[in-house]
Amino acid sequence: MKWNPRTRCALVCLAFTALFSVFSCRLIYLQMVKHDEYAGLAAEKHVYKQTIYAERGAVLDANNEVLAHNVPVETVVADATHINDANAIVDLVANELKIPKGELAEKLQGERRYIVLKREVATAQANQLREQLRAKNLRGIYFEHDATRIYPNGAMLCHVIGFTDFEHHGIQGVEGSMDQYLHGQDGYRYIEHNRAGQEMVLYRGQERAPRDGYNVHLTVDLNLQNIVENEIDAAVREYSPKKATIILMRPQTGEILAMANRPHFDLNQRSEARPEQMKNRAIIDMMEPGSTFKIVAAAAALNEHKYSPDSIIFCENGLWMYGGTALHDHKPFGDLSVRDILVKSSNVGAAKLAIGVGDQKFYEYIRRFGFGERTGIELPGEISGLIRPPQAWSKISITRIPMGHEIGVTPLQMTVAMAAIANGGKLVTPRIVKSITTADGKTISSLSPVVLRQVISPQTARQIGNALRGVVSDRGTAAAAAVPGFTIAGKTGTAQKVDPNGGYDKGKYVVSFSGYLPADQPEFVGLVVLDDAQTSKPELNYGGMVAGPIFSRIAEKAARYLDLQPHEEIRKALPVERVALTNASHR
Amino acid sequence: MSRSRRKNFNTVDAASLARWIVLTAFLALTGLSYVYLTIQLYHLGDRKKALENELASLRTQNDVASAQITALTSRSALQRRLKEGYLKMIPIAERDIVRLTIPMRNDGDNAIQPVANKRAGR
Repeated sequence: MKWNPRTRCALVCLAFTALFSVFSCRLIYLQMVKHDEYAGLAAEKHVYKQTIYAERGAVLDANNEVLAHNVPVETVVADATHINDANAIVDLVANELKIPKGELAEKLQGERRYIVLKREVATAQANQLREQLRAKNLRGIYFEHDATRIYPNGAMLCHVIGFTDFEHHGIQGVEGSMDQYLHGQDGYRYIEHNRAGQEMVLYRGQERAPRDGYNVHLTVDLNLQNIVENEIDAAVREYSPKKATIILMRPQTGEILAMANRPHFDLNQRSEARPEQMKNRAIIDMMEPGSTFKIVAAAAALNEHKYSPDSIIFCENGLWMYGGTALHDHKPFGDLSVRDILVKSSNVGAAKLAIGVGDQKFYEYIRRFGFGERTGIELPGEISGLIRPPQAWSKISITRIPMGHEIGVTPLQMTVAMAAIANGGKLVTPRIVKSITTADGKTISSLSPVVLRQVISPQTARQIGNALRGVVSDRGTAAAAAVPGFTIAGKTGTAQKVDPNGGYDKGKYVVSFSGYLPADQPEFVGLVVLDDAQTSKPELNYGGMVAGPIFSRIAEKAARYLDLQPHEEIRKALPVERVALTNASHR
Repeated sequence: MSRSRRKNFNTVDAASLARWIVLTAFLALTGLSYVYLTIQLYHLGDRKKALENELASLRTQNDVASAQITALTSRSALQRRLKEGYLKMIPIAERDIVRLTIPMRNDGDNAIQPVANKRAGR
């Protein structure tokens, strides 16, 4: 081969072409084939996904009073790879955030890029720390906006409102059950930092705005709740019960107007609360309802036309041997009408009414009144109670269940059953959530009343209602539940407590009163339950004597608040002495 | 001028030179503009970030103020102040309430007359 200049030149060109072709191929391989992989690796180094937190919705009462809302706080985090002077940062941050230095130094060791140093730091404190970091030119500490939940009314309505965990997920009460609406949806933004750790706005990537949580409006009226809370506190001071529950409900719609339990806890200091303080006993506690349950037996008997309100039943003069065991009345009764069985609260009479209806039919009515199933209220943890089917009943169950023994019901179930009487026999689902709205007031969902079924006919409901008016009279067991100027219908209950070792615990009672006002056109149904109330004399520990007056005080104040019109002809009060004598002789 | 000297003399093509100068100037200007605009974008980004921070700070202050107002005007707080004597409230007596509707009469049940329990009034 002849190496003339032209050939040499051609060879050099060819060599360069080959060399640059190799480079080009490599570039194509890197830029196109391996693009995603290397772009991802590069992005990991300097691109961050910044979460933009959605604000949790507020919880408000029926009058838009705030029950739960947010306060801005900051979460202080560190990126160990950005820290320029670890010792100085430990000194400063430990001092400002009141964190032990050793603990902080340990956290900042290594190469972790996201270390939470402290949550829920007040904005003022965070700003102060931010300024000091800037002044001393310290890097690697970042601040994330966050919010903490505040409950302005402290312990009031604590079991209904509930609370959230540190990740803002509701874990009790409405905060838990309505979490999907309250929580909202966090947004995000891809950002890049420069070497100083500052965001380069020019290189902002994909972004999605957060959607704030919806506001949840409750049916609870804080004014009525306040009345109930004051009275339950007074009852706890006076009777020192182990537990107490009071519920107010609007019978036509099922709206819960107030709900209070004792013991209770401060929502803002929930970490200090004991588990027994956190239970919403209105829905998770089972009790033997006692004589308040007689309304079910009487309603079944009247609705099945086995008896009329004036039918006379012999009450065995207070002692009836049935199934080999004795059934007592608190006072010997001879002949009583069905109406008077409720007014006088005769156990024998109620048992005979249930026997007249029959096991199966009576059980059907118990279930129709909603016992043995969850009411469906928008609160977590509700139990269904304990109602055994007739196949599991003993020989004497048919005489014990009508007087509220051998069954377990929740206070809310009892209130709902009484509401069915007040509401012309219609059983409604109790509701605690009125509506769900956006932050700017647009209604997302408005919950309507749900009538589950017609339990008894309106006529039967009226007959039972008339009998229950007699209970709150000078002839009945709950004269002390009366309210000047108003007609009240209600029923007392005094159930001996079950001994965990078997049988009943002597001298320990669950006393209750359930009633509604005004009896003609009920505006609210109320239930007062006190577990193991301590009275000065054991003979005073009855529903009519303990729970009745509490109901009376609540009903009086509630009627005033709701501007209910009193009846003029019943404004004159009976002498107190008469009331006292009447009470002393009845259950 | 001799013939050979005239042959060695290079004339300047003014038009071509001007074209190159304009092109170079244009390219230089474009480059400088790019650099300037890029720097401006950085500045605007920083300014945007600063304004966002300012807005977030104002929102935070607003939220903190709202929370304080809610806490101070909550029922519990007002009741505490009432108990402490900072607030005075006079309850409205029944006789001071004027009702515009006629009171309902209850004639249906004449057998049972509910009683009034004075002890109930705490």
